[in-house]
Amino acid sequence: MELEDRPPPALVAMVGGPQGSGLETSAQVLTVAYAAVGYRVLASREYHSNIIGRHSYTLIGVDPARLPGGHRYPVDIAAFMDAESVFTHYQDLAPGSYLVYDTGLAGVELHRIPSVEPETRRRILAGLEKLGVEPKVGSVVDMLAGRGVRTVGLDFRRLLATLRERYGLTYAAARRFTSMIVAASVAAVTGLSLEELKEGLGYRFRGRPHLVEQNLALAEEVYRQLASLPPLRLPDPESPPDEYMVVTGNEAVAIGKAAAGLGLQSYYPITPAQDESFYLEAHEESTGIVVFQAEDELAAIAAATGAALAGARAATATSGPGFDLMIEGLGWACMNEAPVVVTLYQRGGPSTGLPTRGSQEDLLDAAFAGHGECPRVVLASWSHEEAMRDAVEAFNLAEEYQLPVVHLLDKFLANSVATIEAPRVEGLVLRRGPLVERPGAGYRRFALPGPVSPRALLGRAVMWYTGDEHDEYGHISEEPSTRIAMVNKRLEKLDMVARSVPEMGGRAALYPEDADPAQLDLLIYSWGTAARVSADAVDYLLARGVRAALLRVHYFSPYPGGVVSRIVEEARSAGAKVVDVEHNRQAQAAALAKMYSGVEFDARLLKYTGRPIYLHELLDALGSVLRGQGGEVHLSYGA
Amino acid sequence: MARDPRSYRTPLWVDWCPGCGNFGILQALTETLAELGLPPEETVIVSGIGCSGKTPHYVNANGVHTLHGRAIPYATGVKLANPGLTVIVNGGDGDLLGIGAGHFVALGRRNLDITVLMHNNQVYGLTKGQASPTLPYGVRTKSLPKPNIQDMLNPVALAVAAGYTFVARSYALDIKHLKTVMKMAVSHRGASFVDILQPCVTYNNVYTVQFYRRALYRLEDTDGWDPVVHSPDEEPQKKAQAIAKAQEWGSRIPIGVFYVNPHRPSFEDRLEARIPGYRQHPPATRLPVVEETAPPYTSGDLKNIFGDRIVRVRRRGSAGRQGARSDE
Repeated sequence: MELEDRPPPALVAMVGGPQGSGLETSAQVLTVAYAAVGYRVLASREYHSNIIGRHSYTLIGVDPARLPGGHRYPVDIAAFMDAESVFTHYQDLAPGSYLVYDTGLAGVELHRIPSVEPETRRRILAGLEKLGVEPKVGSVVDMLAGRGVRTVGLDFRRLLATLRERYGLTYAAARRFTSMIVAASVAAVTGLSLEELKEGLGYRFRGRPHLVEQNLALAEEVYRQLASLPPLRLPDPESPPDEYMVVTGNEAVAIGKAAAGLGLQSYYPITPAQDESFYLEAHEESTGIVVFQAEDELAAIAAATGAALAGARAATATSGPGFDLMIEGLGWACMNEAPVVVTLYQRGGPSTGLPTRGSQEDLLDAAFAGHGECPRVVLASWSHEEAMRDAVEAFNLAEEYQLPVVHLLDKFLANSVATIEAPRVEGLVLRRGPLVERPGAGYRRFALPGPVSPRALLGRAVMWYTGDEHDEYGHISEEPSTRIAMVNKRLEKLDMVARSVPEMGGRAALYPEDADPAQLDLLIYSWGTAARVSADAVDYLLARGVRAALLRVHYFSPYPGGVVSRIVEEARSAGAKVVDVEHNRQAQAAALAKMYSGVEFDARLLKYTGRPIYLHELLDALGSVLRGQGGEVHLSYGA
Repeated sequence: MARDPRSYRTPLWVDWCPGCGNFGILQALTETLAELGLPPEETVIVSGIGCSGKTPHYVNANGVHTLHGRAIPYATGVKLANPGLTVIVNGGDGDLLGIGAGHFVALGRRNLDITVLMHNNQVYGLTKGQASPTLPYGVRTKSLPKPNIQDMLNPVALAVAAGYTFVARSYALDIKHLKTVMKMAVSHRGASFVDILQPCVTYNNVYTVQFYRRALYRLEDTDGWDPVVHSPDEEPQKKAQAIAKAQEWGSRIPIGVFYVNPHRPSFEDRLEARIPGYRQHPPATRLPVVEETAPPYTSGDLKNIFGDRIVRVRRRGSAGRQGARSDE
C-alpha cells in the first residue's frame, strides 16, 4: 500500500478499546514516539461520558511535512483491545489497511457485548446483514480479509501470560499492559524502531523505569511476532525541529494564559474544559498562579471578575452548560467594564447534550448571550498554536478596552494532542490599557467621555462598581443623559477594537494568504476547527488543479463584515462556488455573515454528530458542490 | 489609628425608608471602619441586590455592588487577588440564604478572611415584601397574601455547620452592640458572619422594633457562656453548643457571639502552604501597573515550567530503524 494514495495526513492510525483500559496510554506513547522522530502528529480522542467500560478510540494522524488539520478515513492501521471496537469500526478499514486484533476474541458475538448502545447495535447488525456477515468477531475479520484488509491476529492472553511469568505480576496487573500490545503493534507496522518506541514509553512512565522495562519487553515480543509483515511506508520527517511541545488544546491555552501573566483562574469542573485548570493547578508552585475551584459557574465568573477589579489578569474556563450560568456575570462585567476572560470550549448541546463530543454550536450564544446590550470581544482559534497566542491576546484586548472577552474553542481542539513549537515570548507585549497608579480623591472610575476611562485598581483608590446603570463615579443613576453617555461609552469600544484589529489578517484571514478571490473555483467560508480541516481540503484541491481558498473568521465580535462581503462577492462574481463549512445544524457563522455582510452561500456543509468533520467526507461534499450541487449537506461520518 | 466615622460616608442621599434598620447597620459599619482605622482605599464593601445592596454607595470606601446572591464570590475573587485588602460583604437574607445559599456555605468551607454582614429583615423589601428564607413557617407579614408556607433557615446554625470560624448575631438598632460585634468579626482571621436582625418598617409588621425590644437578650450577660474554641479538641463541643443555642427563637432570642475558632487555617494560609510567596506576591501584583509590560516569563522559563510537555527530536540515523522495518 502506498500511503500517498489517500488524502493527508500521511498516516492515520486508530487505537480502540474500552474507556479506562489504558487507551490514553497507547495514544500518548505513540504520539510522543512519532514526535521524537520528528513527525508532526495530531491525536484526537473520541470517548463517551463514562469512566470505565464504554467504547473509546483515538485517531493518530502522522505526517512528515505538516501538522495535520484533521483526520480522514479509511484509516491505515487500526489496533483494537476489544471486540466492540472491531464491530464499531469495521467500515473504517479499506484494502491495504491493517487490522490488529486479539485472536482470543474471535468467537465474541455482537449481542454479547453489553456496552453497545441498542441503536448502535441495530445499525451494526443491519450493516453486517447487508454484507451477509455473521455478527461475530471472527466472521467480521474474515470478511475484511476477503476485501484486502491485512488482518493480523495476536494472542493477547499468551502475550500477557509471558509477561506475567517473567515479572511475577498478578493477573490484574498484567491486564493493564493490554494497551501496550496495541501501541506496539501500530509502532511495529508503521516502522518505528523499538528504540524509538522507547522514547514514548520513557515520556509516559517518567520516573518509573520498571514500567518502561516491562512495557518494552512486551513490545519486543509484539515486534517479534509482527516482524514478517510488510510495513506501511511512512516517509522520513522533513526538516524536523529540535524539539516539539506536545500538548492538548487545553494545555496550549493554559500555557498561553501563563505567558500572559495570568494571576487567577477560577473554574467549576466540566468537560471538556476542566483539564486546562487542572494543568494550571499542577504547575501552581512554579507559576504562582492561583487556581480556584469555585462552587459553581456563577461563582467562577464572579471570582474571576473580582480578581480582575483588584488588578489580576483573571480568567475562567468552561463549556456550554457552565457558560449558561456565567451569563449574568458576563453582563455584570460588560456593565462594569471589567477585563475578564472566559475560555469557552464548545461541546454538543443543548442542555447536557453530548458532553464529551465536539461542536461549534455556541457561536451565537458567545456573541449575543445576556440581556441588554452587552459588548464583548469573541475570538475563535483554529489551532493549538493560535489558541496559545489568542490566550494572550484575549487578556490584552480585555485590559486595553476594559471589557469581557470570550475565547471560543471546542472539544475537538481541547482533547486533541498536537506537536507544536514551544512558545516564544521575546518581543511579546502585554497591553494593560490606561491604568492609573494612585489617582487620589475624587477619582471617577467611569470618567467620560471615555470610551476607555483610566482604570485604578481596588486597593489603590476609592471607587464604586455596580450592576445598575451608573454615573462616572460608579454610583447608581437613572438620569437619561447619563444613560445615553454610558451606553454609548460601552458600545463604542467595539468600534475601537474594530479599528485596531484589521479585518484582513486580524479578524479574518484568507488561506492561502495570497489567494486571489477573483480567480477561484471554490471559496470555503469557515471558522475554528472546521476551518482547519477545510485548509487541508484547500491544499488537496490546489494540488489537483482546483482553484480553492478558505476565508476564515477569527473574530466574531467585532465581526469582519467588510472583508467577508468583499471577498465573497468577488469570488461569486468570478464564478466561484461559495461554501459554508461548520460544526452545527443552523449554519451559525453563515447567519452572522448574512447579518453583517448580507452575503449568501451556494452550499452549507454541516456536521452536528459530535464527531469532527473528516477530510474525506469534506472532499466528497466539496466535489458535489463543484459539480453544481447546492443547498445544505449534513455530514455524518464516524462512530 | 481611629478616624472620624463621618469621613466614611459619601454625600449621597440615602434612599432607604425612614426608620429602616439599615440606617443602624450603616452607622455601626462606618464606626467600625473608623475605630479600626481602616484606610478607605484598602477596604472593599461588596454587596448583592436589594435594599442592603445599596450600602456600598453610602460608604466612602471601595464599593462593589454585584449581582443577586453573588456578593460572596465577587468578594472571594477580590480577596484572593489581593489578600491585603479588608473585604466586607453586606447582603440581605434572601440574597445570602436564598439565591446565594451555595456561596454562603462555600465560604465557610474555605474560611477565607472575609466578613459577611447579613441584613436580616425576613422579607424581600424592594420587591414589596415577599417571604425570605429566614421568615418562620406560618407567619404572615402584611403584604403576604397567605401565611408563609416554607420553613425558616437558622442562619447561625448554618454558618457554624458550614465552617465559619466567627459566628455572631446582633441587632440593627442596638448600634453599640452591633459595632462591638462587627469589630470583632472584621478583626477575626478567617470567615466571619454576623446575623443582623433588622426590622423592616414597611413590610414586616411581625418582627417589629417592639417585638425585638422584648425578645432580645445578650449572650455575654449569660453566666458561663464561652463561645471560644480554646484548643482544637474543643471544636466539636463548641460547635454543638453554638448550634444548640441557635435553636432559641421566639419570645427569647439571644444576640452576641455564638462561636469563635481561631485554630482553623484561613484559605490564605492554605494557599501560602501550596504556593510559597502567595501573600507577598498575590495575583494582583503579578504584573506592574503600567500600560505595557513584558511577559512574566522568558521563553526559557516557560520551557522549564512546562518542560513536562517538551519532546526532543532525535533525527534518524542510517542505522536508526529496526523492528518491522528491517524485514522490508
